[in-house]
Amino acid sequence: MDRPHPDVTLLDEARPALGEPRPLPAEAPPEAPVQRLDPRAVTLWRLTGAMWWAMWTLCMIIPWLLWEWPLLLMAPVAALGAAWVAWVPPASYRHFSYQVGPVDVRVMHGWWTRHVAVVLHSRIQHVDTRQGPVERAMGLATVVVYTAGSVGAMVGIPGLAEGEAEALRDRLAQLSGTDDAV
Amino acid sequence: MPSEAATARLDGDGRRLHPFTLVFSALTIGRGMIWPALAGGFGLGDGQMGRTLPIILAVLAIPALIGSAAKYALYRWRLDADELLLRSGVLNRQNRVIPLARVQNVEVRQSLLQRVVGVAELRVETAGTGLQAEAVLSVLGVGEAQSLRTDLLARRRAQADAVLVDAGEGTEAIERPVATPLAKLSTWDLLLAGATANEAGVIAAAAAGLLQFTEQIPGELFETAIRGAVERTQGAYVVVGIAGVLVLMVVGWIISIAGSLVRYHGFTLTVDGGEMRKRYGLLTVHEASVPLRRVQAIRLEETFLRRWLGLASLMIETAGGSPGQRGGAEAFVPIARRGEVARLVRGIFADAQVDEADFQHVHPKAERRLRRRYLLSFLVLVWAPFWVARWFEVQPAGTMAPWVGLLLPLPWLMARWQYAHRGWALPPGYVMARSGVLNRVTWIVPDRKLQTLHVRDTPFQRRLGLSTLVVDTAAGGKQAAVIDLAHSTARRLLEELAVRARAAVRARPPSAEPTAGSG
Repeated sequence: MDRPHPDVTLLDEARPALGEPRPLPAEAPPEAPVQRLDPRAVTLWRLTGAMWWAMWTLCMIIPWLLWEWPLLLMAPVAALGAAWVAWVPPASYRHFSYQVGPVDVRVMHGWWTRHVAVVLHSRIQHVDTRQGPVERAMGLATVVVYTAGSVGAMVGIPGLAEGEAEALRDRLAQLSGTDDAV
Repeated sequence: MPSEAATARLDGDGRRLHPFTLVFSALTIGRGMIWPALAGGFGLGDGQMGRTLPIILAVLAIPALIGSAAKYALYRWRLDADELLLRSGVLNRQNRVIPLARVQNVEVRQSLLQRVVGVAELRVETAGTGLQAEAVLSVLGVGEAQSLRTDLLARRRAQADAVLVDAGEGTEAIERPVATPLAKLSTWDLLLAGATANEAGVIAAAAAGLLQFTEQIPGELFETAIRGAVERTQGAYVVVGIAGVLVLMVVGWIISIAGSLVRYHGFTLTVDGGEMRKRYGLLTVHEASVPLRRVQAIRLEETFLRRWLGLASLMIETAGGSPGQRGGAEAFVPIARRGEVARLVRGIFADAQVDEADFQHVHPKAERRLRRRYLLSFLVLVWAPFWVARWFEVQPAGTMAPWVGLLLPLPWLMARWQYAHRGWALPPGYVMARSGVLNRVTWIVPDRKLQTLHVRDTPFQRRLGLSTLVVDTAAGGKQAAVIDLAHSTARRLLEELAVRARAAVRARPPSAEPTAGSG
């Protein structure tokens, strides 16, 4: 997708870290196709981002009202917001992908901190689709996968076309097994 | 089998809540408003505010009422053969699919008022994370709620049975010792536990002892030194302050010892029939039992002092059992000798080979990262304030500023220690992650309890080719993590653990079926 990790000499790789070399399991997952979000996700994030930053810019009126700070304070906030709206949504989009394999769902995301999250189908507790007002207007939806885990218990896939999101939600709900390891 | 999309099925044949839902949400809104209204009325009397406040509240209440009416109008639920479907929300719309096999607990609740008008609230809980139940149908007619509950439980059982048949026999039975106590703590053990629990107190006690010792023996030398220090720091108040702190610490230490003796008196731990039972306490006698299959992980905690004395304490992390209680950490054995740890762990995880675990270091660049961070925080948080004090001529901090520089090797040492203690191991069937110097924590997580796996890296880590691996279980709120692995190692571990987690689920004994909370 992007720059690969710079390769480094690995101390912890040099040792037989993972024990005996084990033959791959029979049901070794064939590479599931890497799926991208709907390209409209960029527009969605731009819209919501712009609203968010506009709100902060307007908040800068408060110090002006109360203590007559210069109204010019709005400028840096607006500039920051503009930069954010211009740069972050496409970057997030570029770094967002997911795979629904035969045994697990993988979500790769993050333009700043990169995340790879793996959720085994058998651990899925329930699945939601969510739509905010902007998402609904654009015909987009977010799928959220819940596990019984503690902190990383919610894994979300935003910016999917409505129909696609529903299909994914129903498919994941069906794939979820009975053994949730709790 | 659901072929149609869940959303479509809800559209076609989704059911609504009982119309009384409207009454109850109006009551809730009214209850929220009544106290401010009354307070306003009384507090502000006949003034302008006193009259306007109820009006303001009424104006606020109207959108809330409209909102809850819209919520009622849009809410749909539907019970299918293997799923419970829910739709909720007005602006933020949510469609939820709960596989019935996942349902842990179904509860029908009725308040007094609800009993009078013949409605009830149905709550469905899965092992999910939120504090709120995953589905709250509020309110339904009593008959409807009860039959839904019966249906839900019956269908869940059918689901679980089907899966159990699928899984088949032929899984290894794990033998456990029968009814002999796994651990018993003597008074001496408890004394040790208390004495080593409060580290500051121990250090203070040692320091106080040393002071007394020095006062008696070398005499002059220390006296002159102390007197000199007192003169230079302009005032005995410093000495008095230090002495006061020391006294407080010693008192704290004694309290901690007494607390340990009272709390854990007669500690006995038994593992029998898939259950762990603990009994302890002098004044309040605690008796707790935890089903072993609820144990998500064991955490071994070794503080600096305990490590030095060859002691450790063990915690177990559980997933919540009863409604309202969502799991968490619990002392498994408050104090144990290092040699016993492996045996104790095997009492819970029979096949864990903890003592043979071969810990691997993380990438050496982790030490570099740690060193930079410690150095930076030392310079900014410790040394810089002293120089600022010198600049503003605040004594005695100002005079001490150059001497604080003597502590500069500290960041190096800390980084080295942190690196030395941080590690991971993969004994068969388990993942272990260890970190920390002052309190070293070792996680022991069975493959079969892994929930989700994460690899993440910040730009700073990415620059060095490092990543963090997070291993998530259903333990309450805490995760085991290995920070600063080589990125490729982290990815390889992720794949390895994903395969192991899946294999472990298949090989699970059938006794560990997912039905947990009884209805």
